[in-house]
Amino acid sequence: MAAAKSTAPRRSAGRGRLGMFLHLILRSLTARNGRLGIALAAITVGAAVVSSLTNLYFDISIKMSEELRAFGANVIISPHKTEQKKAGSDRGVDAARLTEALHALPKDKLLGGSPFLYGLVRLDLANAVLVGVDFPGLRTISPYWQVQGSWVSANFDERNAMVGRRLAESMELTVGKTVTITNADRTIRHPVTVRGIIDTGDAEDDQIFVNLSLAEKILNLPGKADFMMASVVLQANEADIVTARLGAEFPDLDIRPIRKISQADGQILEKIQGLMALVAGVILVITTLCVNATLTAMVAERTPQIGLQKAIGASNRDIVVQFLSETAVIAVVATALGLGFGFLLAQALGQAVFSAWVTFRPIVIPLTLFLSLAAALAASILPVRGAIRIAPARVLRGE
Amino acid sequence: MTAPNQDAPAPAEQSREVIGVSGLGKRFGSVAALQDVSFSVHQGEFVAVMGPSGSGKTTLLNILSLLDTPTEGSYRLDGIETAHLSEKEQVIIRREKIGLVFQQFHLIPYLNAVENLMLAQHYHSVADRDEAVEALARVGLAERATHLPSQLSGGEQQRVCIARALINAPALILADEPTGNLDADNEALVMGLLESLRDEGRTIVLVTHNPELGDRTGRVIRLQHGKRVA
Repeated sequence: MAAAKSTAPRRSAGRGRLGMFLHLILRSLTARNGRLGIALAAITVGAAVVSSLTNLYFDISIKMSEELRAFGANVIISPHKTEQKKAGSDRGVDAARLTEALHALPKDKLLGGSPFLYGLVRLDLANAVLVGVDFPGLRTISPYWQVQGSWVSANFDERNAMVGRRLAESMELTVGKTVTITNADRTIRHPVTVRGIIDTGDAEDDQIFVNLSLAEKILNLPGKADFMMASVVLQANEADIVTARLGAEFPDLDIRPIRKISQADGQILEKIQGLMALVAGVILVITTLCVNATLTAMVAERTPQIGLQKAIGASNRDIVVQFLSETAVIAVVATALGLGFGFLLAQALGQAVFSAWVTFRPIVIPLTLFLSLAAALAASILPVRGAIRIAPARVLRGE
Repeated sequence: MTAPNQDAPAPAEQSREVIGVSGLGKRFGSVAALQDVSFSVHQGEFVAVMGPSGSGKTTLLNILSLLDTPTEGSYRLDGIETAHLSEKEQVIIRREKIGLVFQQFHLIPYLNAVENLMLAQHYHSVADRDEAVEALARVGLAERATHLPSQLSGGEQQRVCIARALINAPALILADEPTGNLDADNEALVMGLLESLRDEGRTIVLVTHNPELGDRTGRVIRLQHGKRVA
């Protein structure tokens, strides 16, 4: 391009250039409230759903884990298999050692635990399995047990017992009745009152439960227990990590997650998180399509102005920057609104599903902003290409 | 508007060729909108391009304003051969050297009068409100600076357009039927403005089919069926 003498004014560079650009963006946006409102609403809805699901995503593993504790214990602490084969007075493991291991679990995540000591006893005229437990701990790890009557509340109570439903039926035991527990060699006879009748639908329905101290005396296994079961709030693969660490700390004990429960935790969590990601993705796609339609209509509406801007000196770059900036402004404002609505939505979902408040995670802000901007800018690609293709000569003569 | 504009070229430059068109042609498929059109316009000239509808006036103006490209011939604008310019270079030359005035005014509806001028400044270099208000004052609209186009009459809108065309002191002003949508009073006002610009030494090409307006310019280029006939 050959140089030619110009009579054009030489204004001082930098003075007001950004100001005029921002002014143009602001006037352009406020001049079309209707279409702007549609784009704003679309991105706000998208941002609200994404931010609420993201908030839930980060909270759900904790909430789910807490919910799944209703299914019972998820960690078992027992002697190694070789120790378990011992019989007579050598059987079992030091109950204090089991309690020590229980208390080594993360305190903020431990809901409770109970030792278990099993033995065969005679109840009046029939044989039954006696189980020594820590009743307060047992209650925390067995929240799904149906109890007629009430739980034995103290772990030093040796006068009360709880009896399984089928055992109670066969022996015609009811709440308040007394039954005498006799040990194998008939040297100990200990009367207990039935405080509650347990219905679990499992083996517990045939057993009688007393506090561990009483069971140790009746079974003549002082200070012993067979194993300990615990309920711990652990997310997904945390169970393996925590139990492995504890196993290293207590090499004499076998500490492991109960697979059935911990795997259910992980599988349900993965499915729910996958579903949430799918919903967020679908909402983002719908948002993108809605914004695309709105921006396309905006470009069509502004065709004469774009043509004029080009005719008076706007380059394609100027047009692209203006459109993308307008889209970015809409996206940022909509994201700010969406974050607010999203947090409220997350609270509503948290209350409805988990009956708990959802914690706000700061990571949600940049993540939602990024996804909203990406969706909005993706939506603007075709409309902006349309704007670039506008031929001012045709537009200005009204074609 | 009698005082000479300080942006206007000096008398010594008045013989400089601003437009040099040679063998210019434009075809739309099999239709020839322009054929073998040649002419020159020099600094300070006020030239009318006239002809009936479909004679190729608008096509010629689009080529002169670099909004369209010829399929044949050459076009030199202020010493620059435009035939092989990229789209980006065309934009730069258009914003630097050409001021456009349209029949239908074409103002940005959501910007007020002074902001419409500032937008042209913005694309040229940088917006300067004082200078834009001064330009509006030159067309008698200083007190209407903050009015939106919808609040201005047709004649006022066209004067804003003329002020916008002048704001970057272009080498060439191209006016396409600038009085086509105006009543007689406003037509006289706008033509008076263009004549005063000529008096300042501006180079103006006016497209019109109105013989009276053509007679008020210094020279008339007549087109018929895409060919120059006079």
